[in-house]
Amino acid sequence: MHSKSLTKTILLFGPLVLTGLGIIMIYSASSIFASCKFHDAGYFMKKQFLFAIAGTLGMLLLMRVPYERLRRLAYPLWALCLGLLVCVLVPGIGTEIGGAVRWLRIGPLSFQPSEFAKLAVILLLAYSLSKKGRDKIKSFSIGVLPHLLMVLPLCVLIIVQPDFGTTLMIVVLLVCMMFIGGVRLRYLCGLGLLGACAAVPLIAMKGYRMERMLTFLNPWEKSSGSGFQIIQSFLAFGAGGLKGTGLGAGTQKLFYLPEPHTDFILAVIGEELGFVGVMLVVAVFAMIVLCGLRVAAHAQDLFGAYMALGIVMMIGIQTCINMGVVLGLLPTKGMPLPFVSYGGTSLVMNLMAVGVLLSISAHADMKAQ
Amino acid sequence: MVTVQARTELKNSIRLCALLFAVLFAVIGVRAWFLQILRSPDLTRTLERQYKTSVLLSPKRGTIYDRNGNELAISVQVESLFARPHMISDPAGLSQRLAGILNMEPDAIADKLREEKPFVWIARKITQQQAQAVRALEEQGLEFAKESKRTYPNGELAGQVIGFTGLDSEGLEGLEFRMNETLRGTPQRVAASRDARGRHLFSEGFCSSAQDDGSDIYLTIDKTIQYIAEKEMQATVAATGAKSGIAVVMDPWNGDVLAMAVVPLFDPNNYSQYGRDMWRNRAIADVLEPGSTFKIFVVAASLAEKIITPEDTFFCENGTFRIGGRTISDVHPYGWLDVSGIIKHSSNIGVSKISKHLGTPLFCDYIGRFGFARPTGIELPAEASGYMPPSERLSEHTRSVMAFGHSISVTPLQLAQAYSAIANGGVLIQPKVVKSTRTSDGETRAYQPDAQGQRVIDHASAQILTEMMQTVVEQGGTGVKAAVPGFGVAGKTGTARKIYNGTYSHNRLVASFAGFCPVDNPRLTVVVIVDEPRTMTYGGQSAAPAFSRIAQQALNYLNVAPRVQIAAGEAPSTIHDQGPPAAGRAG
Repeated sequence: MHSKSLTKTILLFGPLVLTGLGIIMIYSASSIFASCKFHDAGYFMKKQFLFAIAGTLGMLLLMRVPYERLRRLAYPLWALCLGLLVCVLVPGIGTEIGGAVRWLRIGPLSFQPSEFAKLAVILLLAYSLSKKGRDKIKSFSIGVLPHLLMVLPLCVLIIVQPDFGTTLMIVVLLVCMMFIGGVRLRYLCGLGLLGACAAVPLIAMKGYRMERMLTFLNPWEKSSGSGFQIIQSFLAFGAGGLKGTGLGAGTQKLFYLPEPHTDFILAVIGEELGFVGVMLVVAVFAMIVLCGLRVAAHAQDLFGAYMALGIVMMIGIQTCINMGVVLGLLPTKGMPLPFVSYGGTSLVMNLMAVGVLLSISAHADMKAQ
Repeated sequence: MVTVQARTELKNSIRLCALLFAVLFAVIGVRAWFLQILRSPDLTRTLERQYKTSVLLSPKRGTIYDRNGNELAISVQVESLFARPHMISDPAGLSQRLAGILNMEPDAIADKLREEKPFVWIARKITQQQAQAVRALEEQGLEFAKESKRTYPNGELAGQVIGFTGLDSEGLEGLEFRMNETLRGTPQRVAASRDARGRHLFSEGFCSSAQDDGSDIYLTIDKTIQYIAEKEMQATVAATGAKSGIAVVMDPWNGDVLAMAVVPLFDPNNYSQYGRDMWRNRAIADVLEPGSTFKIFVVAASLAEKIITPEDTFFCENGTFRIGGRTISDVHPYGWLDVSGIIKHSSNIGVSKISKHLGTPLFCDYIGRFGFARPTGIELPAEASGYMPPSERLSEHTRSVMAFGHSISVTPLQLAQAYSAIANGGVLIQPKVVKSTRTSDGETRAYQPDAQGQRVIDHASAQILTEMMQTVVEQGGTGVKAAVPGFGVAGKTGTARKIYNGTYSHNRLVASFAGFCPVDNPRLTVVVIVDEPRTMTYGGQSAAPAFSRIAQQALNYLNVAPRVQIAAGEAPSTIHDQGPPAAGRAG
């Protein structure tokens, strides 16, 4: 009983702590850039703060809504997602930033449907897998084919934006959730092989993806060219040392670090808050993941368990990939750090996902009572 | 609702997930420890190298003025374009657009944009229009730096004297090179943080004391006289088909170089379009055998040492004389000539005989005292010292030919310096080209105190020699064409064969005239050198008229009143008789 309320507390406050830290670090990382570009040092921080409020409200709302009601939304949300992703690609509707069309602009706000797609996929798979029962899932035509047919169109729409990172994330979620749902391992291996075959030309086709792969293997060789980003990240971590240079005192964010307030925010944390700060962030994420897994284990039904697992994996894998990239363990891949990185849609979706987790947790409690 | 089997399978899956994440987070932690603890010291060092760029704040380079405050070299602020290649996404397209604006090859720009450097210059010192056009592209990774560009408003005027600066505003030639530190000022090294866009962030370690701008320099050069000398030397070179022409105009009393013309001219604004050869200030950097202009120093020494008197006569052997086993000859055969006649007619044999009376040790001593075979010490780079054979190894023949300016090499400026010593009554004064400097806070300082000078010969001997030298421009002298209407001229012609492939050439000559005027109170020493004239090969034919025209215009410009208003058609040869002797001016 006590441990369950601890789980809820961690799930509620862990993401909020990270979000708060994110807002502070976004200000630290972006204030100079923002004052140069927008003549407002708090430009990014303020926007993130508003999204944090929206996300928190969404989270509080969803944790009170019985998650079973989401079942009914699985297909409509999938269809909505598909529609939005098509809209993004329609010229004149989608907004292009940095060569990629990922955003829908609604007044002053911009919305990234691909972030929404992750959650939609999780809901769809949790619903579909739990509905069919574990025996039927073993069959290819029931356990694999429908899911592939529904998820792959989303992937295609996202990869053409292009957003390789989110596509990869969705594919990983698909495979993992099917595995958890009981799909035969040999189908998944076959799928994995197919996926790898699809990834190779996608990587080779775009020169920069190949370059990133090669750079990853030896960044120092191209320290001023393509290795520049990751080396600047190393330098930031190195400069931070054990205790960091102090909040706001980092220098790497001064345009040396690529995207210091988005994908590389952990490097700013590493520089300013040091190894201690990084380890605290890692610890909070680990606790969130652990608690999320506990929620999955105690869910009252398979749908809840699958939902919880999907959400935990979405957050956990994204965290690991982001940290792996920033620390130079993985090739450079645009993937924000959940809750912390700047990015409105991502923050709102992640907080709402946690709200769902809390809802699942709450109902597990009720059942236990 | 959940079967027991499903629950078990689920639990296993969840355990697997937990294990997987535990491993992943552990790896992340270890990696963070590796970077932040283990590698921290050397990563921090690399980082500091990147940030603490020592920035050289280049102050404004000083202006070069002529003696009257006319600008000869000025600095203006212009913009230079650089790129940060890692921020540029489309080098090929961008280089195409830049090429149109900058008039450059697209491939050359594309190569620069692809360089693996954080910073690369695209085009230095571009025009304002170009800079605006590039700004209008609003391209990421293209930025500007302010630099100062040197311009020479008078173009070719005194190009070899002034020299020029390179792209980094460091003097490369001439006074720009020699006086670089004065002109440049004190650049300040500042350890400044830099962000990746190259902006300096002076928040830490910024040294705020103001840097010293460069000092302005005032030259002794007179823009007008320089122009006169250059124009006349260009005309002379054109008329004679010579390879080059050199003229040095000097104030004999204080050593101020008023003009130093080297033709062909070059324009320091576009120095790269001229050969290195044309940058050289041949008035100080080139040595030549002076020929007969050198004879007067033998006479000067012999007069000063009282070895000869003006009344002494020498037999000039009717044009051919064997000495030291070799023959020397005169252009025209002469019999008996007095010392004045030897100078007037430029007899090689006569002056050889005088040098024999003078003797080798004194001869060499006086050559040295007149400033030959060592640099004058003028504030110009790459000054040659000239060459004189060591006295202990001097054969009789060598001494004899040295008496008329062979087997010895001098610079045109050395010749002007030595002639000035005779003009001012016997004192050798170091020539100078920099008159004063003015620091950035307005303090003017004489660059070098007026040199006291070294007395070389007594005043009376200089006086006698001057009178002899006047006969050169008189009727029957070799330098009649050097006469300046209204002013007395003392001078000497020279024609020397150049050594070519180890022997004296018959068709490569150096024609010269050196002299000063007005004789009664000399204002100008002028040395004119015509290098390899094709026609009018004698000094009296090509160099003497140039001397006359330069001296006449310069005296006119300086408002020097002629002693006599001569009627048209009157022979200029009578003029010198009208002037009183220049008494009491020797320093």
